[in-house]
Order: sequence, then structure tokens, then C-alpha cells
Amino acid sequence: MVSLPRAGGTNGIHDEPRHRQPVRIDVEELGKSFGSFTALNDVSLTVRPGELLALLGPSGSGKTTLLRAIAGLTATEEGTIRFDGEDATALGLRERRVGFVFQQYALFRHMTVFDNVAFGLRVRPREERPRAGEIARRVRRLLQLVQLEGLEHRFPSQISGGQRQRVALARALAIEPRVLLLDEPFGALDAKVRKELRRWLRELHTETGLTTIFVTHDQEEALELADRVVVMRAGKIEQIGTPAEIYEEPATPFVCEFLGGAARFEVEAREGETDVLGGTFPIESDAGYSGPAIAYVRAHEIEIVSREMAEGVPAVIRTVRPFGPTITVELSIEGRAERIEADVPRELYDGGEIKEGQGIFIRATSARIFPAG
Amino acid sequence: MTDVSLRTHAAFSSPVGERIRTRAALTVLALVFLALVLILPLAAVFTEALRKGAEPFFAALVEPDALEAVKLTLIVAAIAVPANLLFGLVASWAIAKFEFRGKSFLVTLIDLPFSVSPVISGLVYILLFGAQGFFGQWLAAHGIQIVFAVPGIVLATIFVTFPFVARQLIPLMEAQGTVDEEAALSLGATGFQTFRKVTLPNIKWALLYGVLLSNARAMGEFGAVSVVSGHIRGKTNTMPLHVEILYNEYNFVAAFAVASLLAFLALVTLVLKSALEWRYGGELAASGRH
Repeated sequence: MVSLPRAGGTNGIHDEPRHRQPVRIDVEELGKSFGSFTALNDVSLTVRPGELLALLGPSGSGKTTLLRAIAGLTATEEGTIRFDGEDATALGLRERRVGFVFQQYALFRHMTVFDNVAFGLRVRPREERPRAGEIARRVRRLLQLVQLEGLEHRFPSQISGGQRQRVALARALAIEPRVLLLDEPFGALDAKVRKELRRWLRELHTETGLTTIFVTHDQEEALELADRVVVMRAGKIEQIGTPAEIYEEPATPFVCEFLGGAARFEVEAREGETDVLGGTFPIESDAGYSGPAIAYVRAHEIEIVSREMAEGVPAVIRTVRPFGPTITVELSIEGRAERIEADVPRELYDGGEIKEGQGIFIRATSARIFPAG
Repeated sequence: MTDVSLRTHAAFSSPVGERIRTRAALTVLALVFLALVLILPLAAVFTEALRKGAEPFFAALVEPDALEAVKLTLIVAAIAVPANLLFGLVASWAIAKFEFRGKSFLVTLIDLPFSVSPVISGLVYILLFGAQGFFGQWLAAHGIQIVFAVPGIVLATIFVTFPFVARQLIPLMEAQGTVDEEAALSLGATGFQTFRKVTLPNIKWALLYGVLLSNARAMGEFGAVSVVSGHIRGKTNTMPLHVEILYNEYNFVAAFAVASLLAFLALVTLVLKSALEWRYGGELAASGRH
């Protein structure tokens, strides 16, 4: 990746000292409904200064509504949003000074890249508006920051999707925003560009130091990019945590399922323990629980055991995907209609033991158990 | 092998394509129909107008009553078109960018002048503002004359040309949504700046197209205007009304001369419209969210 110019000092994008410190955002008991549909239900959340936070959830979970509410694009009925303690709900869209990158970028199609980026500076009241030369200087610097020098005179229709995305970012940064909000920033891009831009956005965040929130429905994107992830469902926050916490200790069955890659088992628990795939695991959330429970086992938590060991569960290999550092196999076990995915070390595959139709024994090394209902 | 592929290729024709003969028949039919219904009458207007040479033709155009009619037509259009431009903008903005109760009713209402006979539109104004109308006495007491005067003609014209601008803008603005405006506002623009720098450039071609159609109709309207005008020569006669009077007086050359002026206006509108469609077609395709 090309190195980015340093932010801060005279070269930074924050020329005005009052916006240099990253802002802390407090969302307090926020509520919003569209007719009979509850988009946000008593949502509270603190975004730390300078943090890169992901709002993760399926469509209709309220993540975009929350982002738009923080921006001031959607009015909320209940609750407060504070920027550094100051009540932002009382401020209009313009006063909040939020850099917002729209899902489809919303670039002004009749303006060049340069004019798009300059827009926020040119519409300022006369007394705050920089002179034309100063505007040009700032726009050039921003285009340099987003690596789009030389494209100033192109129109949005004449550049690629990834480039449009970066124009939208530069345009949002031009107003020296207090916070940066991105709605599905990579949603409209193809897989390769997504990966590149993801890394680039991470670097840009380090450069600008802005408190940044982005919305995504892609768990991989959220876990890879964010400092902390907020998992949302049906207008409520399901879990807040670092990517490692979310992945290792999902708080609810929903989080577990949304992150994907886990097989679900319906089991019986007795006194806080349950048997799954030849292993016995505790229910961490409810130690003494007895009754129906749901267990989740991830592909890498299934090991293949030799026949001699008693605790293995018999399984048949149905398909083998022999690429990458680990081999993923699909297994079928007795009494279960859906297949289970398991990661198998390469050596086993190379040893010729892994082939379609082969009967094996498997065992879970770890599992997440939740009381059912 | 080669043989087979060649033969299938030659035999292949588009599944929706017709036989050559059918195609030719359809084209000829359409052309003959157009010639009979459109081109022939248009040609007749110009030949009739020039039947006795250029001199009577121009004499009919510069005659005082004709000049008054042209002047009145221009005045009416100059008031009605901007009024509809303003109304069309406001209505389509409201319909495309906001959700409110009674929205579909408003959309239907905008279409009303298309579905109502122009004569009835004119009669409505007589009923409202005529001597025996609802406001007749009050207006008479205050010395304001609407019917059989210029204000009535303007009102009737506005009514008839009401839908043109709004009809052009509503679908376009609905397709474009509000995200560009949100972007502009979040970047710190005021409502007016947003309108001037973002909304207006996005709709300018459609707007121009609507104004053009609205203008053509405003200048050519006969029915509604005929009811409210009172046909006072040199005073409340627009060009279409003037043509009728001349025709009824068997003054064919003069009638067709003025008519040819209107026909010429129609042709100019048609050319401009095609030019705009060519331009605005591209714009529309580009506005489908890059």
C-alpha cells in the first residue's frame, strides 16, 4: 500500500484546533419507530474517542437507523445523543458537523471530483469560507490523502467504484468533521477492491484519528476492521465487544449464528453441562441449568479421532474442499439432516485418509451452549 | 460440420422479428397514416396561407388585430408558463421528497386538466368569476374584471397547462430520491444552497422539457380560452381565437397566415423537444445512480 501523508500539524486535515481532539459519542436510551415498526428500541452505547466502531447486523436490525440518527439525518423520538457531553440531538444536521459517507456515495453527478470535494467548503457562510486558493489547496491535499491526484477534473461517472468511494470520503473529510460515519462503505464494491479498501480505511483512520463508525452486514469486515463491534438485532444491541470477544464469547445464540460457520445442535442439559459430539461442555451463562439447550460447534472445533478412542461420533465424509491451509470437509452424522463442516489438518488429507464416502470418528473440542427459549 | 453451422446461421432470425413483407407493410401503413393525418394538413396550412403570394400573407400578419393577438398570446404564455414552472417545481418537490397524507390524491389532482375537457375548464371560471358567478358581485363591486378579459384567459391557460412541468419532474425526482440532498445538507449547505447547487442541476433538462411543452400548449390553447375570452377583437383574442374569427369571415388567406405562424411555433417546439430528448435521454440514463 502506498504510504499516506502524515496527519496533524500544518499538514493535517484538521486545520482548526477546536476539532483536533477526537470526540466521544454517548448514545442514551435512543428510540425510533417507523409506523408500527420499531427501528431502535432503547439503544445505549458509548463510542470512545478515536475509536473505529462497527455496527453489525442483518438488514432491519436498526444499524443504519442508528448511524443516521447519530448523523442527524433521521430524527429520533426518544433518547439523547451526546458529542463530548454536548447534546447533539438539539443540533441540526449542519451544526453537528458529521462526515457522512453514503452507501451509494451520493456524489453530485454534475460536478467534477474537485467540485465534489470542495462543496462543503464553498457552501460555508461568507465569513467562514476559505478563499478560492485556500480551498484549492485543501482539496488537493485531501485528494492526495485518498490517493486520487490527477482525477480532479473527472466526473463521477468517469471513475471506478473504488475511486468514487474515496471521493465520497475526501468530500466528507473536507468539512473537518467531528466524527466520521460510513454506511456500508464497501457494500457496492467487488471482493478484491473491498479487501484493498478495508486495509486502506484502517490506515486512514489511524491517520485522521477521528472517531469513526461504520455500518456493515458482513461479519468478516466488522471483525477484521473494527476496534470494537456492536452486534444489533431487531432494534436492540445484542452484544458489544472487541472482535476477539465477539468471536470467542458470543453472548447470545443470535450472535453465534450471525457470525456464521457454526453448526447448531439441540441438546439436553443437566446441571449446567451438556454432551455434544462426544464432548462434555459447561453452560457458562447459566451454571446450574437443566433442560433443553442449544449448542454451537465451529468447523475448527471438530477433530477427527482414531477408531480406538471410545468417545468419537461416527461420521461420513460427503464433500472435500481441498484448498487453503486447512481442508474443509462436509460430514453427515446419524440422526441429523444438515451436514456439519469440519476443518481438517492438511497432513491428514495428504495421508489419503480424507476422501468422499470415507467413514470416520469425530469429536468436538469446544462448544458454546445456551439454554433454549 | 461447417455446412450445418452455416445453414443454421442463415436460417436464424430474431424470435421477435417479423418477415420482411410484414415489416414493410407495417412501415408503409404508419407512413401513409402520418402523411394523411399530419403532414398533409400541415402542408395545406402553408399552401393556403401563401395561395395569393407573399404580400397578402405578410399583410395578414402585420394587421393591427393580428399583432394584438400575437401580443396577447405572448403575454399569456409569459405569465402562465412561469406560474406553472413554479407550481410544477413546488408540487413535484413535495410529492417526490416527502411522505404525507393525501399524496396520491394530489398526484391525481395534478392530472385533472388532462382528463377534463378544456371547454369545461373555461366554464368553471365563468361560474366562479362571471357576472352571475360566486365571486361575480364582489368582483363587479370592486371593479375587477376577470372573465372576458386578460386575467381570465391567463387563468384558463394556467389551468390547462398545469400538469406539464410537474408530470415531467415527478418521476425523475422520485427516481433520484433524497440522498443527494442529504449529502449536501450534511456537508453544511443551507436548504436554498442545496436546491440551487444540487437539486436544480439534477432536474434541469426535465424542467426545460416540461416548460417547452407547457409553452407550446399555452400558446396553442383554444377551448378553455375561447370560453372565457369573449372574442373581443384586438383586445381578448389570442392567436388561435383570431384564426377562428378570420376563418368564419371567409378570410382564408389571413386565417391560414396566422395559423401558419402557430404551426411554425409547433415545428420549432418539436425540434427543440427532439434536441432535448437527445440530451436529456443521456442525462436520465446517467442519473440512474452511477
